[in-house]
Amino acid sequence: MVTRTRDRPPAGVLGSVPAVDLRPLLGGWVNCNQHTTGIHRIEIGDWEGMPIVRVFGAGRPAPIDWGEAAGSAFTDGVGRREAVAFTATYDLGFMQVLLACYIKLRLLVVNAYSTFTDSSGRASYWQPDNFYRP
Amino acid sequence: MTSLEYVRAEDQLPAGGEAPGGALRLAPLVGTWYATDQEALGIVRLELHDSDGALLVRAFGADVTEPYDWGEVSGTPYGHGVTAVEAMAFSAIYDFGFLITILSAYLIQGMLVLDTFNTFTDSSGRSNYFTREFFHR
Repeated sequence: MVTRTRDRPPAGVLGSVPAVDLRPLLGGWVNCNQHTTGIHRIEIGDWEGMPIVRVFGAGRPAPIDWGEAAGSAFTDGVGRREAVAFTATYDLGFMQVLLACYIKLRLLVVNAYSTFTDSSGRASYWQPDNFYRP
Repeated sequence: MTSLEYVRAEDQLPAGGEAPGGALRLAPLVGTWYATDQEALGIVRLELHDSDGALLVRAFGADVTEPYDWGEVSGTPYGHGVTAVEAMAFSAIYDFGFLITILSAYLIQGMLVLDTFNTFTDSSGRSNYFTREFFHR
């Protein structure tokens, strides 16, 4: 079944794709903007083939640890195995955040989609950030 | 003044700033968006509607004869910050039974940039995949 042409596997590939290789995602990523008001840094680990994400938000006197969240890894196509992107969601009690992330030119691009679930009246917001491996 | 919870500086209201409350204005997103790549293999068209303040998303996937109509789902709009009153991004989820697709998109310079994150839930062996696509009105 397909929803668009991209869903169709190249001839001979169907059923033969091995587990996704997470290595391109793994490690510590630091925001290219050291004065960011968003995410300060991200750590990505491998737990039995699943990316485990740990986010630190910009805060004073120290970054704020969001804790770990299970992520999902994505390749560049249905017949590929190298991870180029991931998603993760955080439910922080007063706010939910969808992290939609991909690698571009050795940088990790992180788009954070945040929705407040408290009664503060703050608007849901999108914030992009770029990260590098130190 | 009540202290608001936050997990990064951006979550806080600016000094003297007030939370807007209420729904974001959807006008910047609403309309029909076409893939800039006329030979797109992914999504060829997106229709975004305002239904009494709620965002509705309808996507059409590329195919040889005519586009696949994915049907309509609700979307979540986002502004540019905690004091925003206008939407400039959205997310939505399609569950096709054999595939779950997350759409996440934002406006830049009059273009809509769409990222899709696709997870197969069938036993086809296809890898979960990511796309980045561009749209104009």
